[in-house]
Amino acid sequence: MTDNRRQILDMLASGKLTAEEAERLIAALERNGAGATALSESDRTKYLRVLVDTKDPLDGPTKVNVRVPMQLLRAGVRLTGVIPASAREEVNAALRKQGITFDINNVTPQNLEELIEQLRELTVDVDNENTKVRVFCE
Amino acid sequence: MKAEILPPLTATVHVKPRGWKSGFKLWLPLFLVWLLALPLFILALPFLFVAALVFGVRFWASIRGALAVLHAFHGTSVEVEKADTRVFINLH
Repeated sequence: MTDNRRQILDMLASGKLTAEEAERLIAALERNGAGATALSESDRTKYLRVLVDTKDPLDGPTKVNVRVPMQLLRAGVRLTGVIPASAREEVNAALRKQGITFDINNVTPQNLEELIEQLRELTVDVDNENTKVRVFCE
Repeated sequence: MKAEILPPLTATVHVKPRGWKSGFKLWLPLFLVWLLALPLFILALPFLFVAALVFGVRFWASIRGALAVLHAFHGTSVEVEKADTRVFINLH
């Protein structure tokens, strides 16, 4: 049994994870291969990068390069834990009103880690005549 | 104070104005800002506590969360380059 699997089972046993969350994490481990090990600190996604490159015919080119630590996203999500239940329901209702079926109660640190790991593979490129925008994680 | 809740203590700003051959670098002691803000924060604590009670927010968890968000700004950098001008800000 790998250390990761044992850690998940320990967290399940101590009640830190629900059975559903544990199952999802184990499935994620299996997806990464039989010999999957935890991502080391150096392998983890550390930054969200936003690169903007515009070419204004009058002002000339402008380049913007922003690096935001993923830790900020993690801290922000943890902060959602202090939102009162009534406010959460209001947020969910407002999202539903906009046609977004998203439950803010499902945003947990465990889910966030999964999401961030998936973001490693994601690159958004917007390219038009005068502007190029690239968003990626590193 | 645990290291995970320390906000960025310094910032470096590199500026290269238009027409200059090379730029200059500023080192900003952000910790002075936090030191100045600390008395105000302490004065505001009772009001924040009452507000947390009224709105049903967990007070200490909110404080810890807010400090964690400030701490997470470590490593943030912004660089803007336009024509011959360049500004680069990095939080440490």
